[in-house]
Order: sequence, then C-alpha cells, then structure tokens
Amino acid sequence: MANNNDKDKFKYRVEIQQMMFVSGETGEPNAETTGIIEEIVRGQVIEMLLQCTSQAARRGSRSISTDDLIFLIRHDKAKVSRLRTYLSWKDVRKTAKEQDPNGGAGAPDPADLLEDAAAGIAGSGGPMQMKQRKAKIGLPWEVASYFSEQVPEREEDEDEDEVEANYATLQRLKNADERTRGMTKDEYVHWSECRQASFTFRKGKRFREWAGFGTVTEAKPNDDIVDILGFLTFEIVQTLTEEALRVKEAEDQVLMQSREKSRKRKREKFLFHAEEGRTAVEARHVEEAFRRLQTPRPKMKAMRNFSGGVVKSRLMLV
Amino acid sequence: MSSLPSQWQRPQITREDTSQRSERTRTASIDIGIDMGEKEETSDSITAIFRQRYTQYEKTIQSLFRTDRPCCAAPELDLSTLELNDNYPSGQTNPAASSVLDNVRPPARQLDDDDYDFDDDDGDEEPKKSAPSPLLAKALSSHSQSSEPSRNIAEAKKNATATREKLEADRKAAEEAARSALSTMFFTLENDRDAMLEQQKLEESDRQVNAEANAAQANAPGKLSSANLGASSLTLKHLIARIDAKREKVKVSDMELRNLMSEVRKNRSKWANEDKVGQEELYEAAEKVVLELRALTEHSTAFLNRVNKREAPDYFSIIKHPMDLGTVMKKLKTHQYKSKKEFVDDLNLIWANCLAYNADPMHYLRKHAKCMQKATQNLIPLIPDIVIRDRAEVEAEEAGTMEVDAEGESDDEPLMSSRGRKAPGTKKARKGARTEGTPEVKPPTVHLLRADSLPPGESSQVNIMQNGFLTPLGGTPVPNGISGTSMSQMEIDHDKIDDDSNDVEYQAWKTMTKKARAKVALLRGNRLNPEEPALLRSRTDMGRYLRNEERHLKFLQENEDEGLPRGNGSDKLVDSAEGDDEGDLLPDYYSPLSCVPELPWSLVWHGDSDEVDLQGQDIRLAPKGIFTQPKSELSKRMDANIRQMQDTRKLCSKIAVIKQMQVQTQMYSNQFQRYDPKEFIEADVEDFVVTEEGPIMCHDVARAALQRSVGKIFFHAGFEEYQPTAIDAVTDIAADYIQKLSKTLMVYAEAPSHERQFSPEEMLLHALYENGADVESLEAYIRDDVERLGSRLNGIHERMKFHLTELLRPALTDTGGDGSRMFNDGSEMFVGGDFAEDIGDDFFGFKELGLDKEFGLSSLSVPLHLLQGRMRSTFQNPSASAAVSADGYKQPPPFEPVTHEIITKQIGLVQNFFLAKLHANNEEALIEDEHLQGKQKPPKPRLPPTGKISMPRKRPSNSHGGNSKKKKKPNPAPASTKTALVKDAPPALERTLSKISEGGDEGNGGMMSPESLVGGGG
Repeated sequence: MANNNDKDKFKYRVEIQQMMFVSGETGEPNAETTGIIEEIVRGQVIEMLLQCTSQAARRGSRSISTDDLIFLIRHDKAKVSRLRTYLSWKDVRKTAKEQDPNGGAGAPDPADLLEDAAAGIAGSGGPMQMKQRKAKIGLPWEVASYFSEQVPEREEDEDEDEVEANYATLQRLKNADERTRGMTKDEYVHWSECRQASFTFRKGKRFREWAGFGTVTEAKPNDDIVDILGFLTFEIVQTLTEEALRVKEAEDQVLMQSREKSRKRKREKFLFHAEEGRTAVEARHVEEAFRRLQTPRPKMKAMRNFSGGVVKSRLMLV
Repeated sequence: MSSLPSQWQRPQITREDTSQRSERTRTASIDIGIDMGEKEETSDSITAIFRQRYTQYEKTIQSLFRTDRPCCAAPELDLSTLELNDNYPSGQTNPAASSVLDNVRPPARQLDDDDYDFDDDDGDEEPKKSAPSPLLAKALSSHSQSSEPSRNIAEAKKNATATREKLEADRKAAEEAARSALSTMFFTLENDRDAMLEQQKLEESDRQVNAEANAAQANAPGKLSSANLGASSLTLKHLIARIDAKREKVKVSDMELRNLMSEVRKNRSKWANEDKVGQEELYEAAEKVVLELRALTEHSTAFLNRVNKREAPDYFSIIKHPMDLGTVMKKLKTHQYKSKKEFVDDLNLIWANCLAYNADPMHYLRKHAKCMQKATQNLIPLIPDIVIRDRAEVEAEEAGTMEVDAEGESDDEPLMSSRGRKAPGTKKARKGARTEGTPEVKPPTVHLLRADSLPPGESSQVNIMQNGFLTPLGGTPVPNGISGTSMSQMEIDHDKIDDDSNDVEYQAWKTMTKKARAKVALLRGNRLNPEEPALLRSRTDMGRYLRNEERHLKFLQENEDEGLPRGNGSDKLVDSAEGDDEGDLLPDYYSPLSCVPELPWSLVWHGDSDEVDLQGQDIRLAPKGIFTQPKSELSKRMDANIRQMQDTRKLCSKIAVIKQMQVQTQMYSNQFQRYDPKEFIEADVEDFVVTEEGPIMCHDVARAALQRSVGKIFFHAGFEEYQPTAIDAVTDIAADYIQKLSKTLMVYAEAPSHERQFSPEEMLLHALYENGADVESLEAYIRDDVERLGSRLNGIHERMKFHLTELLRPALTDTGGDGSRMFNDGSEMFVGGDFAEDIGDDFFGFKELGLDKEFGLSSLSVPLHLLQGRMRSTFQNPSASAAVSADGYKQPPPFEPVTHEIITKQIGLVQNFFLAKLHANNEEALIEDEHLQGKQKPPKPRLPPTGKISMPRKRPSNSHGGNSKKKKKPNPAPASTKTALVKDAPPALERTLSKISEGGDEGNGGMMSPESLVGGGG
C-alpha cells in the first residue's frame, strides 16, 4: 500500500535513478533517495517558474519567455553556454525535420541532443551542413544588443568564453568516457539508455502536472520552456548526485578511518580480499548535499551586514 | 575669593584726580579709614597710617594703567618714597601686592560695586554734613521765588521760564564740565548693565502707560472727533471726520493719532484744549517734569510702575493711596489734574508712600525716594501754578474784567481764545462731560512684565549680606509711633544720598551718556542675544577714535617740537561735521571695534567687480582630482570601451540611414537625427579652499561623484540612457555597500592589538569575503566585463564597418555604369559634381553624416537622392542589375523619345494614340516613365522587409495623381518640371533636380523595362 502510495507520489523514480547512474552513482539508490531528489527538483522547478513569472511581470508580459528562464541562471556561464548549445541544436533539428518531411520519423529525439551538443563541441567539426544552419541564440544582455543594428555573424569567430565555459562539459564527457571505456556492449547500451532519461521528453503532460504549471504560472509555458526545464532538471539531479557522492565519500573515509583504528590488528590484507561492495547514496547524503548547496553565500547577505535581524534566504537555484 | 583676580582685572574706579575722588575707594577697609579720618581729625595714629596708605595705593593704581602717550600718562610714581613712608615691605607697593591686599575685602563688597550703594556703617554712625549742591540751592531759591502765589498766569509763566532757563543753564554747565573733564576721567563699565536695565524698564513703563491709556481710550469707543483734540478739530475737521469713517483701517492707536495731530499743528501742544483755560501750560510743564523724573533712571526705576501685590503682599494694607510715576502719567494723559497742586501732591505721595512703607532707615529704596524727592523739589518750580477752569467760567469772569486783563490774556493765548469763540457750543458740553467722566472709569490694567521694586542687578541675598542683618523686603510694617523718628532719619539720610552726588561732573556724565551706555551695554547681557545686530565699525566711532588719536599726536608734537604737520588721512574717512551726540562722550573702549586698526587682508577686491586677486601662496587650495576617477589601467580600459561603443553607435546610425534609403522614395537631409555623442569628460570641482589637511568630507559632492561613476558603469554596461530615479537608487545602494565594506574593514583593523591576528592584506581579504566579493570575482569581472568586452566591442565595430561599406558599395562605384553617362553629358558641374560646393554649404548633409571622412570621398557633392536612388535600385532589383553587368554585353541603345517624326514610322494603330499624347504634352518629345525624375514617377509597388503585403496598395495622392497624368504623357519640358518640383520638393533639392532632369532629357533616350510599363499602367 505504502509502496503504491509512493508510486503515486513519485513519478520519476526510474528517470532519477538513470540520471544518477549517468552522474556517477553506481549503486542502486532506494526509493527514499529518489523521492527526496524528486521533491528537491520539484521545488526547484516551481521556484524557477515563480521567479520567471515575476520577471516577466516586471517586463510587462504575462507569459514567460526563454530569456526569463535563462536570466535566472545567467551567472552560471557554463550552464548558460550548455543551454544555448542545446537550444541551437534543437533549432537545427527542428528545421531539418521541417525541411525533410521524409526523415521526420527518422529524426533523432530531442533528448539525444544533450549528447549530440556535447559531441558537437567535443568533435569540434560536427556535420558541416548542420553547422551552417546553426543559429546562435542571442540573449538580451549580450554585447550585440548594445547597438540598434543587428550585425551579421561572422562564421569564423569562435567565442572564446564559450570555449572556457565548455571546459566543465568537456570534463564531464571525459569522465563519462572513462566510465564507459571498460563497459561491455550490454552495459553501454544500458548506459546510453540511461543518458536519455529526461523529466520532460514525451512526458510533457506529466511534467506539467507534476510541476504544477497551472497553479504556478498563469500562461501556458511553451515547449521551449518545457525543454529548457527538462535540461535544467537533469542538471539539478546531476549536481545533487555529484555532491551527494562527495558527501558519501567523505563519510566513508571517516568510517574507514575509525574502522581501521578499531580493527587494525585483526584485519590483514590478503590477496583475494574481497572489496566491500559500494553502497548506494542514501537519503541523508542527498539531504546533506542539498544543505551544502543551499548554504548562503556571503554575497547574498552582504547588504544585510551590520543591520542585524534574521537573514531570510529564499531557495537557491542549484 | 577665587573670583578676585578677575575682579582685579576689571578696573573698578580710578580717577586721575585722586584727591577729589577720595570717596571712591577701592577697598572697604581703606574706605573706613578715610571716613574715620575725615571725621575725627585728631584721631589715633592708625587712621593716619590708613590714610597715608590709601593715598599711596591710589597712586599705585595709576601705574597699572600705563600708556605710551605722554599726554595721558599718569604722573611718575616715586616708589622709593612710598617705600620710605611705608613700614611695609617694598613688595607690597607694586600692583600685585595691592591686589593681594585687595583680597581682604569682604566678599559682599565685590558684588555690589554700584555707584549708588552706600556704606551702611558710615551712614548710620556718622551722618556727615556736606555742602548742599549749588544746583539745589539755585533750585530752592527759584522755588521760593515762584512759589509765591500769583493770579497772573503770565507772570507765573515768566517766572517758570526763568527758572527753567536757569536750570537748563546749570545742566549745560555741568555737561560742559563733564565734557571737558572727560579726557581726565577714567570710566568703568560696571554701571552700564544697570543703565541698560533701567533703560529697559523705562521703555517698558512707557509701553505700559501707553497701553493703559489706550485701553482707557478704548472704553469710549474710538471716535477721534470725540477725543480731545482741542482746537485742531476745527481746522482739521474734515480730515478727522474722514479718519473716523475709516477708523478700523487706520492702524494706529488713538494716542498716536492724537500725537500726530498735535505734531501737525505745531503751534498747539497735544494738551491744548480751548474749553479748558490753562490746561495746555499746566500739562505741558507737568509732563516735562514727569518725564524728567522718569529719566532719572538711576533712582526712578522702583517708582515707574504700580507696586504689585505679589511683590509686597501687605503693601496695600499699609499704603492706602498707592501712586507711581506711571499712574501720574496716565492721569495726565486722561486729563485728571485740575491744578498744579493735585499734580504735585501726587508726586509727593509717591515718595512719601515709599518712605512710609520702607520704614527701615537702612532700606535702599529710601535713598532713591530721597533722591527723587530732591529732584522733584527742583523741578516743581517749573510748573506754572495754574488751576484749570472751564472756558465758560473764565469768559464769564472775563466779561467783568475785560478791560483790565485783556492784554495779558491775548498775549498768552490769542489763538486759543479766538478759536475757542468760534467753536460750537455743543463741543464744550461733551468735552466737559468726558473729562469728568474719566476718573470714574477704571481703565483695565494691562499687565506687562513689571519690574520689581528691587534695583536691578541685586538679588535679595546680596542685599541682606550688605546690610548685615535680615531686612524683610518691603515687608516691614511701619508702626505709627516710629513715623516721627523715621522722618528724622529721612532727614539724616537726605544729606547722604549718594557718594557720587558730590561729583557733579560724574553725575552729569552719567545722565548724559546713559542712553548710549545702555545701548552699548545691550551687548553684555547675561546670554547671547540672537537678534543682536552685528558689530560693525561705524563712521562716527571711527572718527572719534581718529580724532582722539590726533589729539594725542598733537600733544606729542607740541611737546617734542617736531612741527611736521601730519597729513590728515583721517578726514577722508570721517565727516568731521559729526554732531556731538551722546556716544561722543563715551570713552574709546566702549566701541572696541573702532579702536582696532584695519586687518591686513591678503585678498584684494578690485573695484566693484567680483574679481578677487588670489594670491595662491596665502590660500590652501584643495588638491585637484579628489572627485574624479583616478587614472588607472581599469579606468583607461573602461573609457576606451565607452569610446568604442560610441563609435559603433555612430556606425549604427549610418547604417540606419542607409537602410532607410533603401526603402524610402524620397529623402530629406534633416530627416535623420544625427548621433553625435560627446566624449565623457569628468569635470572636477572648482577650486576651493580647505582649512587643513585630511580627507574632505562633503556629502553632496561625493554623492554626485559616485553618481557619475555609476552612470559611467551603466553606460559601460550598455545603457545609453537611464532614468534619474534608477541611477539614484543604484548610487544609494553602492554607497551603502561601500560603507559596509569599509565598516567591516574597520572592525578588523580596530581589533585590540592582542586579538589582532591578521595582517592588513588578510584583513582586506576577509572584509571582501564578508561582503560577498573576493579577488577572484573582481578579477573575473575585469577579465570578462572589461577586457573581453573591449575585444568584443572591437569585433562588433569591425563587422559594423564592413556591413556599412557593403551597404554603401553601389554609391561608391559610380564611376562606371549608366550613372556616369548621365553625368558626362551634362554640364561641367556634373562632371565634377561640385555644384553644391560653389555655394559652400553642406548641401546634402553628408558632412553631417560623416560619410566623407569615412570613405574618403573627394567631394561631398553626390546628391543624397542619387545615392539613395542607387541604394534603392540595388536593393530592389539586385538580380537585374547583376544580370546586366554580368553578361558583359553592351546595353541596347535606348529608345528614342517619341516625337512627330518617330510617330510616322510607327504602326498606324498607335499613331493616333501617340499624337494625342504629344498634343497633350505641348508637342514635345515623350520620354519613358523610367527616366522621369523623382516624384514624377509613379510609386512602384514595394514589399516591406517582412515580405508580406499587409495593406492594399495606397492610391497615389492628389498631387501624385496630377503628376502621374503628366507622366503618361512624357514630360521633357524643363519649365513645367520646374514648376511641378517647386510644388513638391523642398527648395534645397529643386535646383539639382531640375538640372538632372535636363541632363536626363538630353542624354538618355527612352529605355523600356517591364517594370516601367507596369508603373505606367498603374
């Protein structure tokens, strides 16, 4: 019964498990862990939507735009860069699908874009015809918008800070590469399946209900926003998992040390000493990770210095 | 005791003439000694010693006030003789020693150094006779003269005037004496405060009397005509009636009005009343007496106003008929006195009351009362002994004795009597009723701040100490039996009124300068007076000072016989015609400002202009650049970025112009707003002077500077303009943040040294961290938002430039192609294209756009519309022109204009059509639509950049319609073109266009294009 309830309550158990697996968790996280993560993600999504709505209202618009959403994460340049790449590739695919109705069915799923975007950057070449049509997503706070006239893009200029921003992505890809290197074929299939896990892909309706779109925002967010949210939710799960793993690692280390202290004499290493199996990330690790991610930075409370009172911090976007 | 040194610093009483001023001693002990010595001639040796020592110290006092002026210097003291005569050690003879001696004085004595306080011991023990002052003697004699009752008013008046003259003469003499003695006297400031207070009290009393009188007047509703204006009511009847009618608009009291009236009628005093014989004379004299008495502020202060029940609760139980000078004045003003006797009785009642109430012979008020009594005695003879009578009565009397006394009366008041007879009889009755009625009416008392019966500056405590035993102030009941003795004591006291009374000169000086001193003393109130006028050097004071200086100088010259006449520079400054006012009698030190020479002033004012000659070395100017951005690498880069942005924006504006050209048919040079940004220059504050080193705290300026910096950062972040409220808010936040940052740093820096654990660098880092910043983020900002922004801006600028040249290409490559031919065939001007430069102005606004510099155009004469036309055609039809130029074939010959000759070669079907057209076109050649110029062309269908046809095509306007009609019939006539153009085109373009159309006519044959056909059809 309880299980049933959980199932009703948590709708993304499998997806989260897959995402965690992709993010480095090897073990099988239990339902409690995924439940907590799901709650966190949901809270984040709602917070994002709220902030976007107020932002749009400030602009004088009732419906939120992609710019509003990107504005929320503008300080995380790497993330913005990734998102832009994702969006531009999505655009490319969409136009390709339109132009080539025959291949519509065969067109890759948007979920693959994550991988492809990364591949496109990593591969530095990419399919030529794609690149030609790849439109850059301009953001209103960029230099180009300083001027009243739009300047035609030059093909050759590669944004240098994009390169820098991609560093983190490349690092992730490298990690993934390391992990997949030793995989068997079946394992890799599983891995690649897991990489496609998404909160939103072909689950648009479920996602809308889950995130409470109707109650949080008045206007109906369009597909672009849902896609961006799907992208961001994956990022959230990934960050959380990585942080939780780090927490667990630290905990393990402490445990190991204490255990070594107590059993120093008893334990001897012998040749085929079985490594203790890795345990999965538990709920407390996720909670700790979330706490760490939510620790208010000095920047947030600098203006409250010397003024006393309780600093009320709102939920920070991971 | 501790206050004694300061007491000493304020010189009390010193005179040059010591022997004369022997009473005015400095110490009580010596005082006693002298008095005793004077009294008992053959007393013991102690007295002699005291006296001797007194004279010695008197002399030493002079040595205290040293002066470099020989004329004013005190006679040299032979200190050695003093020493010889004295048994005391030599050290005591110097001023310091005498100050030590001075300490012996009882403290009470220090507090009341007033002139008119007297030594009680002396007064009681040894009543001494002093010669009656000559003034008194004279007054008495005159009094006896005039006191003899006389019916003859004229005679009495004569007597009175004689007495008055005598008195005046006496006073004049005293004043003269005071004046002459002025330079020989040393005056002190100690009485000035009293003088001031007395003066204040007097003024206050004046006010009160006035107010009460007004109130009394107010009882009888303020009809001026009903008021007692005497004879004036006749001559000024209409004026008075008028004033009465508008009484509420006149903002003066009745009293004032009446005074005004009497002033207007100079020959009549305000007391004049034709119904009352003798009133004028009596009241005038009486008023003078009262004023005189009141003016004796030294003594009269206590008698100015009614005794208040609060001050003396039992006063009214003892004194049945209270009286005071204010009441007397009031009674005078309400005409309550009928005769001299009534008036004099009232006056005497005042003094008698005082003496009766303050029965204690030592009471200080008694002395004042005595003084006043004496003064009254002196003044009473001035009043003519007149009993006021109603005119009717007098006239009835006169009727009997007309012959006898006619002369005397007419002599005295010819005007009054004559007027009185003309006066209507009704008035008489009314006046009479009024005068009788007033005494019953008790005027409402106006309570102003009433001065108490104590003399100013003395508290009751002091008084007690002075007397040595407790004297209930004003509260001693007078037992009836003792009244006789008190009277005798009064007599005794009478002679010893004041120490100073003997010194006529001093008294004269005191009364003469009272007002001036009071004025000066206002500055020495107990606390600062915020309404006090500024201390300024006045011309008169300066003049007096300079005159005094001159006098000293002259004396010096006479003494030294160096007869060089000094140049009188002072005459320029001072009008020597200055009258001898009261201030003149004041010693120099009363106006210290005028004694001080002009300060040397390093700033020189040139004439009337506001220019000041700044001599830099005298002024500490604040260093420059406090409120501007310091020169640093960062600021340099930011400035460069801002400049780059401005340049790029300029390019943008040009691109906008060209894009507009592509879509618009007609261009005007003033159509575009020119983007001409100004360079950012941080203005520094003007030079200002600082008093000392250190940071300059100026909130407003600092805020303005921060605001400017914020604005700069805004611009750097891409905002071209911003709302003032936004920049205000950001400035406030920035200021707040920086304050917090520095506060954090202070917390670290001000930690006690034993707790301090960070080096300064660490402190800075901590403070930064606490406030959400760190070195990395700052570096990242500079790297990303300044440096990288700069490179990006550069890139965008390059691309913009490229874009612009792309857009301008068709206009720049006009050396070949069909356009050149058009120019070649025209006049020379077209070849050079410099027809606009003949006029010398920027005909098409190219210079304004900056296109010449941008592309190195040799001349600016490419007409805007040509440029535009080319832009447009290339934009509209890029493929067609490309095709023409691409295949390399020669263009087909242009179609010839349709003329009569050509028509004949055409097929018959169209001949009639063309003929009709030609006829409509004044038989001139028809040209193609394509080659029509400007507005003559029918508008071509165009697509907006969106590619959608949103609206149905506009019908050509009326003028266009007219033109298009003509266009169908080709229009080669320059004249008609011109007129058409004058209608439509701006005058600037007119000339050019007409010329071009000429050129077009000659050079270009008709060239058909499908487009033109479409246009023509439409």
